[in-house]
Amino acid sequence: MRFSDLVHLCRQNLFRRKSRTILTVLGVVVGCCSIVTMVSLGSGIDEQNKQMLASMGDLTIITVTGANNTGGMGMADGSGTATARIDDKAVKDFRSLQYVAGATGHVTYLDAILTAGPANRYVDQNGVIEAIDMTQFDAMDYQLDSGRKPNRQGDVLAGQYTAYDFIDSLRPESDNFRMRPSYLADSCTPEQRAEGCEDKSDAQDPFFNILTTKITVGAAQTDDSGNVASSSTPTASNGQTAEGSGSGTQIQVSGLLKEDNGKGQATSSGLLMDIATLKDLVAKIHPDAAAGTLAYDSALVRVQDIDHVADVESQIRTMGFTTSSSRDMLDSLKEQTRSIQLILGGIGAVALLVAAIGIANTMVMSVTERVREIGIMKALGCTVHDIRAMFLVEAGAIGVIGGVIGCLVSALISLAINLIRYGGVSAEHLQWAILGNGTVDEAARISVIPWWLYVFAIAFATLISLISGFGPANKAVRVPALDAIKSNQ
Amino acid sequence: MAWLASPPPTANTDASIAPDASAVPDASGALATPAPRTARHSGMHPASGRPMIEVRNLRKEYVMGAEHVIALDRISLDIARGQICCIYGESGSGKSTLLNQLAGMERPTRGGVRIGGIVVSRLDERELAEFRQKHIGFVFQSYNLLPGLNAVENVAMPLMFRGVPREEREARARAMLRRVGLGKRLNHYPSQMSGGQQQRVGIARAFVTRPQVVFADEPTGNLDSKTKVDIMDMIRDFARENGQTIVLVTHDEHMAAYADRIVTLLDGRIVHDTEQDE
Ligand SMILES: Nc1ncnc2c1ncn2[C@@H]1O[C@H](COP(=O)(O)OP(=O)(O)O)[C@@H](O)[C@H]1O
Ligand SMILES: [Mg+2]
Repeated sequence: MRFSDLVHLCRQNLFRRKSRTILTVLGVVVGCCSIVTMVSLGSGIDEQNKQMLASMGDLTIITVTGANNTGGMGMADGSGTATARIDDKAVKDFRSLQYVAGATGHVTYLDAILTAGPANRYVDQNGVIEAIDMTQFDAMDYQLDSGRKPNRQGDVLAGQYTAYDFIDSLRPESDNFRMRPSYLADSCTPEQRAEGCEDKSDAQDPFFNILTTKITVGAAQTDDSGNVASSSTPTASNGQTAEGSGSGTQIQVSGLLKEDNGKGQATSSGLLMDIATLKDLVAKIHPDAAAGTLAYDSALVRVQDIDHVADVESQIRTMGFTTSSSRDMLDSLKEQTRSIQLILGGIGAVALLVAAIGIANTMVMSVTERVREIGIMKALGCTVHDIRAMFLVEAGAIGVIGGVIGCLVSALISLAINLIRYGGVSAEHLQWAILGNGTVDEAARISVIPWWLYVFAIAFATLISLISGFGPANKAVRVPALDAIKSNQ
Repeated sequence: MAWLASPPPTANTDASIAPDASAVPDASGALATPAPRTARHSGMHPASGRPMIEVRNLRKEYVMGAEHVIALDRISLDIARGQICCIYGESGSGKSTLLNQLAGMERPTRGGVRIGGIVVSRLDERELAEFRQKHIGFVFQSYNLLPGLNAVENVAMPLMFRGVPREEREARARAMLRRVGLGKRLNHYPSQMSGGQQQRVGIARAFVTRPQVVFADEPTGNLDSKTKVDIMDMIRDFARENGQTIVLVTHDEHMAAYADRIVTLLDGRIVHDTEQDE
């Protein structure tokens, strides 16, 4: 018997018992929908995690923070502290490890005050300056938001939001700062607004363009009360600048870094420069400071890919250092997500199991009803193989049809869930819900259906149907041809 | 009786009694008969002296609880190629049981059946299906059409099992239906036809594959006397046309009159065997 004939017969038989076919298919649709929807919720968690992690920065960075006095090979040969110092040699050792893409020593300099603009009216009292080995800029995968990459000795980069850290010392205190857009609320109700709530529509640019404005770096001085004051700070009350005090030095920012919390605070607020540049700068603004204060406070090591972070990290620990990375958190997050996904998938699977029982029931009834027909067919020379195929094709068809409809329905359900989460239908929301938007935080979907889930769902529904049709098909095979003839009497 | 003990022929369902086997004089390989004499004559040529159906010492018992019902006993019978043979007898005499043994629907308790040189009682299920597909036609008392298929599809069904493409088999089915006078009912479903019409569809279905042997168990049992005559004429005409062998079971002597030969059963044994002229 040809396959096309099997399909044709199957269609006739399914049409002959329309309502039963529809109900059975409906069972598969429900089962398929619940699996797809549940797994899509699981993938939604993945997407939300991914966006959360993206806000945590580069996950392939290991921060080496200091000596590890409790273990490591350093201890074994009795010279632990000597080998476990973060210095150029250690950084070079890190760089030579397998899977390491780049490594750099890292210096943080906090004793600076940044000023900018006409008469240095814009002030950042707590300017953070970080220094790395700029030759590792690309190897460490620093990303630029705008401007150009550092390519000359002495180039200085600013963090993505550094400009927002400056206050306008000539404005009243209630209105002397600009908020980063990401710190603003999504939207404020009129009542909240009355209480001072500001939302994204209120976002304003910082007071000045940091790429075109020179910045003066001055040394902060710790006064008796422990407050930081600067020799170059203007006093807001009289509008005078302290420019003449002589210790400030001007720099021009050549590029804006993209915020990456894995690579230091300077990527978001502060300045980043080469270690040599920082040394020059400090020598100018703070000649009395001991050179020792510029020792590495840590080292940053970037691993080629996330799968080898654990490996590299344990090697560095063996060398006698303490380290931190996002791996631990990542692991526990993954584990949590997986268990939620398993539970969700399990709920879906139960529904499909119920559908499978429905299919089995339908097929058993179908065989029972058609005992006579099967007998006739066998008497007329239909092989056992073809009879089995006939019933399996029928069961499989129910699975395929149910699976396809189930996938379509799930797509709609998923769309609806996401639109509800976004708070309504709009062109933008539809785009987020359908295409996803990895960069917009609030666009993280609750329900995400990857394409393979559709393929899997249809394949799974078909498989389940075939399995549930197998018993009845074998029952059909055992119907004796004689029954058809016997019914003559 | 050596062939009853011989192992089942391996390629036995193929060429030996296929309708077109007469065109292939040397189909002898299909016969696993050890005796060279029979092998030589196994080409199933119409002129062959070998019977189409050979029954030897057939016995069928049914066990019902403690009781043994002997439905058939010591049946030996040769039916020649092209013969219309009527199995005649009163109800319960074992006619249907005999037919079922001949067609391989049931395994005999003892003895054997050979059709066209193939030991039917030794075929396994798959071989039986193939054997029926190629060489056997059935006409049933209760027509046994599939209710979900129309006349054309019902007639084309045995061809479908043989893998004949749809266009071709439905063309052949339509031609058959026109010959049985149902040219205007091609797309009717069984429920839309009278008993006589349904049985004509049944006949078209039995003959559409041009089988060597057609078994008919009380084919007119449910019909009125006028229709009975039409149906029997039709069966006889088809059989004569292609030299097919017919085994006809009936308890109606008017129907028996159509046969070349009447084998009378009583309590599972042959009590009369008469040949008659038309
Ligand atoms: N499957 C069976 N089980 C038990 N007894 C049977 C079976 N089939 C037939 N018989 C018995 O065999 C005898 C012959 O039956 P059957 O061949 O149907 O007669 P006929 O067709 O001539 O009316 C009857 O006595 C019947 O009861
Ligand atoms: Mg009978």
